[in-house]
Amino acid sequence: MDNDYFSIDAILAENQKVQCKFKQRIPEMGHLGGGSERDITPLNKRQIPIWLAYIIIYSDWADFDIPRPFSNKVRNALRAEPRSVRLSNLVGAGTGWLGDEQGVEMSEMLVTTFKGRLVDVIDQAQHFAALGPVGGGGGGGIDSAPQMFREGLDTTERELFVLAQESAWRMKKWYEESSGGTKRVS
Amino acid sequence: MSLPQSLRTSITPPELEFIASQQLIEIIPLIAMEKTAFISGAFGPLQPPRRAKIPLWIAINLKLKKKCHIVAPEWLSVEFLQSRLDEELSEPGYSRLPFRYAEVSKVLLDVASDDIQNTDKIRSLLKDLREARQAKSREGLEELNRSELSLSNLSSMEINEIRPFFVHAMGILTHLHRDASTED
Repeated sequence: MDNDYFSIDAILAENQKVQCKFKQRIPEMGHLGGGSERDITPLNKRQIPIWLAYIIIYSDWADFDIPRPFSNKVRNALRAEPRSVRLSNLVGAGTGWLGDEQGVEMSEMLVTTFKGRLVDVIDQAQHFAALGPVGGGGGGGIDSAPQMFREGLDTTERELFVLAQESAWRMKKWYEESSGGTKRVS
Repeated sequence: MSLPQSLRTSITPPELEFIASQQLIEIIPLIAMEKTAFISGAFGPLQPPRRAKIPLWIAINLKLKKKCHIVAPEWLSVEFLQSRLDEELSEPGYSRLPFRYAEVSKVLLDVASDDIQNTDKIRSLLKDLREARQAKSREGLEELNRSELSLSNLSSMEINEIRPFFVHAMGILTHLHRDASTED
């Protein structure tokens, strides 16, 4: 994560909050949780952004629960069928993550998920190219399953979708216009 | 950069058509022209009815003014394209086609359809070829890894079509994978 110092995506990802349970009493830091207490007492649950939580957990002042996007339930669903999970509600700004023993397994799972959904992303993008450039879509007669998939796309997947849609639209437009007709005949 | 965001990732198809139009093509001129100097070189002389090789853009221009007949390149024929299509459907890799076949074939079919035989059959063959190769690209998508991708025998238009998507996807894969490699 050190290389991402200037990366906007990493900053946004690290700003996500994670539930932490404090193990020790920390005086005068009650404002972190937004509450009105002056101290943090042990076994107190608070939501801390990841960049702050990293140090706190490293220094063993608190334990954290894995946030919902990475829970076992979601993980199993993703392993079964990557395309059916609606990622947009779960993952906020990105998928940058802390490292620990689960980190390797996590990133492998992310990679498999990503590749599994990728083909569908591009299929839908090419289908939507027919409706016009960015902003088309939402017409009647589209059945609900692809639409639900589209609504469940993660932010990065949406960028890919737009890329593929635009290039498909450009190709289509080029194939349809005639090279001979636009030149003037003298 | 002053380019709009959408143009930063790839070249536009009309630009590729422009670049492809510099290829030489054979024509049967109907008018006479002396050896003329252009920026890219000197072409001519044109002495009807002898054939001459000139760049595609000059050929198109003359053809639109009805001053020449274009001789179709040998790959723009039913037999050649049919054999390539069969190869495409039977083998896992991409078959060898001229690098800019999409641009040249579109331009010639638009402008000089009377100089080419069986234009309908050729159009449908080209369309089938394009769809077969696109299907192969889709399958190859599942084997996308983060470090390299080699697809031999893709034409320039096809490369341009899939480049922004593939490059962005590979970048994301790198980003996701880096977390694993930093763990020990």
